[in-house]
Amino acid sequence: MTVVADSAPLLQIENLRVYYWTQAGPVKAVDDISFSISANERFGFIGESGCGKTTTIMAILRLIRRPGRIEGGRILLKGNDILTLSGEDMRQTRWNRISLIPQGAMNSLNPVMRVRDQIADAIVTHRGAVPNRELRERIGDLLETVQLSADVADMFPHELSGGMKQRACIAMATALEPELIIADEPTSALDVVVQKAVMETLIGVQERMDASMILIGHDMGMTAQVADRVGVMYAGKLVEVAETRELFRQPQHPYSQALISSLPSIREKKRGGGIPGLPPFLLNPPENCLFHPRCPHAIAYCRETPPPMHRVKFGHMAACHLYSAPEQFDSVPDSAIGGLSGMMAATEPGASTGRQAE
Amino acid sequence: MAPPLLEIRDLTKSYGGGLFRRPSPPALEGFSLSFAEGEPKITTIAGESGSGKTTLANLALDFIHPTSGQIFYRGQDISEMSRSERFIFRREVQAIFQDPFGTYNPFYKVDAVFNTVIQKFRLTNDRSERRRLTEEAMEVVGLRPNEILGKYPHELSGGQRQRIMVARAFLLKPRIIVADEPVSMIDASLQMRILEIFRDLKEEYGISFLYITHDLSTAYQISDDIFILYGGSVMESGDIEGVIQNPHHPYTQLLVGSITLPEPDVRWEGRSASVASEETAAINLEGCKFYHRCAHAMDRCASGTPPNYAVGPNQSASCFLFE
Repeated sequence: MTVVADSAPLLQIENLRVYYWTQAGPVKAVDDISFSISANERFGFIGESGCGKTTTIMAILRLIRRPGRIEGGRILLKGNDILTLSGEDMRQTRWNRISLIPQGAMNSLNPVMRVRDQIADAIVTHRGAVPNRELRERIGDLLETVQLSADVADMFPHELSGGMKQRACIAMATALEPELIIADEPTSALDVVVQKAVMETLIGVQERMDASMILIGHDMGMTAQVADRVGVMYAGKLVEVAETRELFRQPQHPYSQALISSLPSIREKKRGGGIPGLPPFLLNPPENCLFHPRCPHAIAYCRETPPPMHRVKFGHMAACHLYSAPEQFDSVPDSAIGGLSGMMAATEPGASTGRQAE
Repeated sequence: MAPPLLEIRDLTKSYGGGLFRRPSPPALEGFSLSFAEGEPKITTIAGESGSGKTTLANLALDFIHPTSGQIFYRGQDISEMSRSERFIFRREVQAIFQDPFGTYNPFYKVDAVFNTVIQKFRLTNDRSERRRLTEEAMEVVGLRPNEILGKYPHELSGGQRQRIMVARAFLLKPRIIVADEPVSMIDASLQMRILEIFRDLKEEYGISFLYITHDLSTAYQISDDIFILYGGSVMESGDIEGVIQNPHHPYTQLLVGSITLPEPDVRWEGRSASVASEETAAINLEGCKFYHRCAHAMDRCASGTPPNYAVGPNQSASCFLFE
């Protein structure tokens, strides 16, 4: 089950499953998710902490560590399953074709190496030896692309501000012109004004290289501004995928509705925000629809049958029985179709179970 | 007329200095604010890192001492309080900090948080009364006591832990709570639920808040008024509605323009100015602090500190543009 995309998506993920094997049993951090990203597209993931966003991208890079394991599925990069690549081929794929700007990237710089040597390191490790002059030129170009002055190359990380360090990391991640840039919280821990400037730089680089991008961020405002399409994750499942504007205007899955309406904004004052209850404990998750204990529309059917990914509209998928099995509901609430209104008013804040009709 | 509940007058704090070293430029300069008795409100102090907002929190809590200026609590200078007055101040002015993970001792159950304050402030010696006070405080913040008590901090989520901190502060029936970035480490979807507790505490229990944050969206949702700090000085202040919806100071305009709205239809306004001016420009120490980053900078801004000009009914900006 994949989401609509161009004829040949750059990245296609099919039924990916990643479990962490703990002493208490398996934790299904990513459970049977499928999506695809086309060339030049910016795809954003949103969801609460622990919903599996970072695990998903780590799986794409095959950087899942024990006790985690990729249990199944396919990750097709231009049609080739990277899960079948040898270790060495995968190493060549990383950075050359898929690069990562990790969470807190600016703290990943080596404090005792000059910026120039760190960027050179990234290039030489993945491309082999490069003549010195060429390397110098290349680093100069890279710094210019991320809007840093050339003298930054000879500085140590402590001489740079947070935003400049983050730019240096973007330069490193894009040094080999990858086809896919994965950015995990690329601007958290920066001041708002700097966040905006760094994000603009990142997008500029991505567009210039014709690369695609996966963007993860706690700042859903940022995702709304930047991404072309957005996937909403909840407890290891992908529950909704849609074009950004459509998703933020008319979220279909009750979780997406609650998540988006809970965001503070300066456009209007809201009362009664937030989602009642807590995300599930993944060692002992609820059965079938994982959101049913917190969902205002949940009925017994939701607990008994897993909701399939259902096409609500062209290019808009949601995994909720309200759409895949509307006949099960006495009445389909307007809010399920209309978007945000009424969703939060229907549940009492503080209650951990929001079941109404059962 | 009763003196204000809390009054901060012309507060300045410089760190460092001493016998042989020159003090560093002030972290906070000439800051004044007042909470009237009987009119609870939520006041936001907003600014980027290094703006002096945490310094202000620490001063208001009497954790550090000002270089100059005074803080009055119910008309009494807090640096000259007697032991018993200080005891009352410590109970009535409570703090909530940023990190809901670092404030707990991992070896103790969360009950210890409540028992410690009940003992220290001699609220009660009676076991069942202690239990009752704890449960009441937890219910006010929307937690179920039987789900939380008896657990260790690592068994709780960040949101639950931060709520327990609000409950702990509430237990002492404070008049003012100083909250320093209370939700910045909490998931976006939970932030508003915590902040709404603040609003309820203000409306139902008359508790005032000094809400310190870098996030103007959450500030807009809950506060009554706001101070925008840059480099230790107030750039703009006034009613929250006016400052956010109609910012006057160039710095406030820059901040408000950088807010990411979760609405794809409302695009970020314009492209940022050059990177150098965004990130590397130093704070101007002589005149207007914002001089080096300001698009409207004039010669006089370099050396003259702009006073506060009224730019609205309850709004003032410290900028020569409004002379």
